[in-house]
Amino acid sequence: MPDLTAADFVIIGSGIIGSTVARKLAQAGASVLILEAGPRVTRAEIVARFRNSPRRSDWMSPYPPAPWAPHPIYQPQSNNYLVQAGPYPYEAEYVRQVGGTTWHWAAQAWRNVPNDFRIKSLYNVGADWPFGYDDLEPYYQEAEELMGVSGAPNTGSPRKKPFPMEPVAEPFAMRRIRERLASAYEVVTNTTARNSRTYDGRPACCGNNSCQPICPIDAQYHGGLAAYAAEAAGAKLIPDANVYRLDHDEQGRISAGLYYDPDKISHRVTGKTFIVAANGIESPRLLLLSASDKFPRGLANSSDMVGRNLMDHPSTSLTFDADEDLWLGRGPQSPSSIGLMRDGSFRAEHAPYRLDFTNISRVDSATSALIDQGVYGDEFARRLRYSAARELNVKNVLEILPDPNHRITLSDQKDAMGIPKPQTHYSIDDYTRRGHERSQQDFRRIAALLGGSNLRFSKEGSYANNQHICGTLSMGNDPKSSVCDQWARAHDHENLYLASTGVLPTCGTCNSTENGLAVAIRTVRHILSENKVGDAPAVPRAG
Amino acid sequence: MGGVGSYTELVPTLALNSRSYRSSVFPMPLNRGRYILKGRTGYRKVFAMNNGNSVLRASDVTRRRLLGSLLTAYTASLIPWALAQPVDDRDQGAFLAVSAIIAGRQALDAQLAKRLYDALIVDDMSFSSMARELLSLIDARKIEPLNLQKVLDAEKSPLAGIPRAVARAWFLGIVGSGVKARCIAYENALNATIVSDVLKPPTYAYGVYGSWTGKPV
Repeated sequence: MPDLTAADFVIIGSGIIGSTVARKLAQAGASVLILEAGPRVTRAEIVARFRNSPRRSDWMSPYPPAPWAPHPIYQPQSNNYLVQAGPYPYEAEYVRQVGGTTWHWAAQAWRNVPNDFRIKSLYNVGADWPFGYDDLEPYYQEAEELMGVSGAPNTGSPRKKPFPMEPVAEPFAMRRIRERLASAYEVVTNTTARNSRTYDGRPACCGNNSCQPICPIDAQYHGGLAAYAAEAAGAKLIPDANVYRLDHDEQGRISAGLYYDPDKISHRVTGKTFIVAANGIESPRLLLLSASDKFPRGLANSSDMVGRNLMDHPSTSLTFDADEDLWLGRGPQSPSSIGLMRDGSFRAEHAPYRLDFTNISRVDSATSALIDQGVYGDEFARRLRYSAARELNVKNVLEILPDPNHRITLSDQKDAMGIPKPQTHYSIDDYTRRGHERSQQDFRRIAALLGGSNLRFSKEGSYANNQHICGTLSMGNDPKSSVCDQWARAHDHENLYLASTGVLPTCGTCNSTENGLAVAIRTVRHILSENKVGDAPAVPRAG
Repeated sequence: MGGVGSYTELVPTLALNSRSYRSSVFPMPLNRGRYILKGRTGYRKVFAMNNGNSVLRASDVTRRRLLGSLLTAYTASLIPWALAQPVDDRDQGAFLAVSAIIAGRQALDAQLAKRLYDALIVDDMSFSSMARELLSLIDARKIEPLNLQKVLDAEKSPLAGIPRAVARAWFLGIVGSGVKARCIAYENALNATIVSDVLKPPTYAYGVYGSWTGKPV
């Protein structure tokens, strides 16, 4: 097994966070090696796959897993990669390919609200972060400038500098929702990594309405762009390199990463510092896979917290017919929301939530519903046009609290490469359920203000998942109850950092990507201040 | 930012990658050289049609039968606009008649009809004969399109799956279900064309930046 390569920094995972960390370290003069389990895939391929998909509403259908780097698939049938240990299914979706899962996000680039950092102190629930909003504020700004974020200042997250871009133009349907709810709710334009003008060489949105699963024109930022930027900055990226183990020396320093190529030939890379950036499920999996005599519970796991405190955002929703034609599907997919219930003293009692309006075209879903009902002939066209024009949907985005029983472990089952699969234990607790119950009155009021009829609440007890995987590498000041310190350095290993939404101690009510990215940029700042980098690159820098 | 050669590539291409596993997720490219047959006269135009490996020309079509010649009075009365559709044989004719009844007053794309039919009979060898049976049943009992599925479901008819399969094919462009499902049409599936005056299928640009702010006509 030859020692093929070495670097100042070895980063496992080329998603938006890992690639951004790589870019910044490379820009500072370090040699950086990125190992990505999945293949390179182009935007054009993904668009073609979507258009040719028999399951257009299944946003994973354009992202089939590579056999050598599987990720969870649930339709048309589960590939049983993420083993479900119950009691409630946690059907997380993520993408293992160069650029990672933000290829198919809706570019929601939210900051927490300030109190999200202190819910233990303020409301006696969950956990406090090891730092506060003000500390993270400049890193939010940097993340927003890197991604190109557009937004309005009325979303509850104070800022010292303006957004890089004005809010994206409001779709007609969202304007009408905002106007008609104004007496009761402030409807705000979402902050998104979506261009409202040409930004960083990429065009403004032109309303393709396929933000998920793929923006066909790169009007929104994604990890593929971050990976290109890292390579342009000099990082070396090896795709199809499925890291299955990290080795350590006698001092507990990480000494090497071992990966399989698609033919299951093992390769070994060495580095001075290792950064695990393989998302909130694959990262803890790798740490657990790397158990040794010295670290029998896995790396970074003296606290037994690796993989625990798994969080995401469960959602319930209401679909109804408005009393005017609004035609969802014109413009970007997820433009507007209500932040009224993101924070307040009620957080001592029940989960806070954001209320989110979709602007996804209803045409395919209405078609399927009409076929199920056997509506044929002239009537089909009439009813389809009615539903496409009138249907609205509002969902909650509920906070879930950190709970050590919600976790990722290693399964007894193995994947195609012979590596133990990840296994999940998950449930929806009463705190979150009470938040869902409280949100029903908002749903009803919103429907009433829009003249709603034909109200269809999502099935009671059923929570949709939002793929915001958090908590499994939780940061904190106490090594007994957290995996890494406030700089995302593993408590147990001097040269091991974690760059992932997994480090977030709580999940708040907003999409996790910008939080994870801002925290990772803060980590880079710390690494650079502690290390003299770039004086002796171990890997020749590309370009 | 370097290394991003694709910014200006606004129109995605069907670029196949060399990885062999991808071929399994790449169905055939859609709608190459599409010619739509609309109305009673359009079929006399010269057009190309996929038919296995051969290409049919207008001279071949004129030797084929017209759908109207295969129908009884009742079914013909349901779909007067479709009577001039050319068909290869009785089986395809039955499929086309059932298609026209289910799709309602829509001009049906002859090339797409052929592709949908070919896909449906691959999935189910008995599809053709069941479509003919269904057509006979509709005629014998003078079943309205809107009642068709209700009647079949209520009677637990073995034909109950046929209208749904035909509806999925035309309205969604999807044939088959589960792991066998495949996409035959997208931007020309009928659910896209029915709303095309207001909405574009996702991945197709709505218009220039901000064009979505106005009230839809």
